[in-house]
Amino acid sequence: MTLIRRNLAGALILGIPFLWIALFMLLPYGIIVTYSFWIKTYPTFKPAFQFGNYLTLFTDPQYLQVMLRTLKIALLVSLCSFLLAYPFAFYLVFRCKSAALRTWLYMAVIAPLWVSYLLRAYVWKTILGTEGILNSFLMSVGIIDQPSDIFLYNQFAMVVTLTYIFIPFMVMPIYTALEKIPLNLTEASADLGMGPWRSFWHVTLPLSLPGVAAGFTLTFCLSFGDFVAPFLVGGPDGNLMANVIATQFGAALNWPLGSALAIVMLVVVLSIVSMSDRLERKGAAGGF
Amino acid sequence: MTPTKLITAGVLLALSTSTALAGNTINVLTWEGYSDPSFISTFEEQSGCKVNATYVGSNDDFAPKLMAGGGVYDLITPSIDTTKLMIDLDFVEPLDTAKIDNWDKIYPKFLGLDGIQKDGAYYGMPYVWGAIAFMYLDSAFSTPPTSIADLWNPDLKGKISLWDDKSSIYVAARKNGDMNIYDLSDEQIAKAQAALLEQKPLVRKYWATAGELVDLYKAGEVVISNTWAGYQSGLLAAEGVKVTEFIPTEGAEGWMDSWMVVKGTPNKECAYKFLNMQLSELGQCGVANINGYSVTNPAAAKACMSPEQYAALHQEDPAYLDSLMVWQPLGDRFEAYTNAWNAVKAQ
Repeated sequence: MTLIRRNLAGALILGIPFLWIALFMLLPYGIIVTYSFWIKTYPTFKPAFQFGNYLTLFTDPQYLQVMLRTLKIALLVSLCSFLLAYPFAFYLVFRCKSAALRTWLYMAVIAPLWVSYLLRAYVWKTILGTEGILNSFLMSVGIIDQPSDIFLYNQFAMVVTLTYIFIPFMVMPIYTALEKIPLNLTEASADLGMGPWRSFWHVTLPLSLPGVAAGFTLTFCLSFGDFVAPFLVGGPDGNLMANVIATQFGAALNWPLGSALAIVMLVVVLSIVSMSDRLERKGAAGGF
Repeated sequence: MTPTKLITAGVLLALSTSTALAGNTINVLTWEGYSDPSFISTFEEQSGCKVNATYVGSNDDFAPKLMAGGGVYDLITPSIDTTKLMIDLDFVEPLDTAKIDNWDKIYPKFLGLDGIQKDGAYYGMPYVWGAIAFMYLDSAFSTPPTSIADLWNPDLKGKISLWDDKSSIYVAARKNGDMNIYDLSDEQIAKAQAALLEQKPLVRKYWATAGELVDLYKAGEVVISNTWAGYQSGLLAAEGVKVTEFIPTEGAEGWMDSWMVVKGTPNKECAYKFLNMQLSELGQCGVANINGYSVTNPAAAKACMSPEQYAALHQEDPAYLDSLMVWQPLGDRFEAYTNAWNAVKAQ
């Protein structure tokens, strides 16, 4: 009796998550893969097995263009986040003497995550707009005498907004990685005659790389799939993959092509994730 | 009564009342304003039918929402470029026009449209109409713009907006002098696409929703665009932003929205009461007062509108209505149009 009960409990504990994954992840992926081989015929689409949708993606320049643009934006966002997040996390872990200040600063970066994504993106509109806060400020200090329209509705605005929104995902893993580095390693490096820069370059940075890789992966994948920033702060040249997918499922009513696009996106994201996973494991094994 | 019995009784009661209500509740998938409480509450009191409204932001929302599974919506209001698709997708059922009192009062021009008919039956009840007019900010122009070509004027760089819709192809084609906008050849579409690409560096933002266009004018980002005549200009006037609508020399497209009954709705009685109300004075003036659109039943409009409103909405102006190039279903050419527009946005 107890054995049955124990087995039942085990089956429930393992079975429910498994069922969840099968039902809400594997099944939907399967459906999308299936759709991606179907064919568009007015008014909708019909079952088929053909590679026409994938072929279109790689022969029609409009899709390659959007794919490259999305890669570029996602890379820029990850890079900007890294350049801002690393010095900040480094300061928090190694230079900030007051524990209270450290907690306070760390929370200041994380806190925006509790505010709605949409709201945060909207705020950037009021900051970057032609009659926005940034323009008013620049005019009041006399740097410009006419409001400028170069801040909003372009790729610059998208990178700024996405960097702001996703930077916590870069700070958190880097902070964790830096915190785990034993202080005596840097001390040993100093004892052996290395200056602070060389110690950083040869000891701290390599040991924190798994955190950097995790941060890059998170910010890259999140901005790679972003849909809202192009809509709110992007300009005429701001269409990203997710917007094109939305158009295919909506206006164009071409679910097969939209599915093929989604699969290509999934493949890109999964290869990034597995690459970073390999990097992290190499880092954990100390194989730099 | 034990607590369990009490709960069971309560659940049963709740279930029975909700099923009883089902026949009296209609769910409409429609545009904002078409089911506004200002007139719907009167209808609910008079008819005993309850109305739940879900709003769409674009005509592209109807098909995916209905495709996701039936049984939710009873009535929809796609525009005349989307109604045919609803019929071809088998989402809607033929109307029993005998049950609609004011059917014969509807402008004959609308009853003659292909988009709402199939095999001699009507599937859509014309409801409201208007122009895709153009609009400019008064303070930005000393000589008012008169032509579509003004949206290609390099002097207005960064101050131009255009609706993010396949209709941009119609606009560009007219600029190129191709007036057969619903029947463009591949070459004409390619030419329109090239014109839109030429315009793209001048565009500040393609607007996707009515609210977005209002915000763009309010924030001083754009000074000229196309618009849903009567709607955004009304919202801007309420905000104190002075804009003027105009019909360009190249003409304007016309749109018309129809009520359609979703196939197999169990709430037919309330649905037809609702259709009758929408075509009566209550519904026609109700929507005209909220959205600033023209209505399809001029007799009702005459009875419930002031002479000024009646004239302003072109209700007795056949020449205006005839001058509009009313949207037509594109059928299998639809893909060529959307693909060209997507290619412009992808660049």
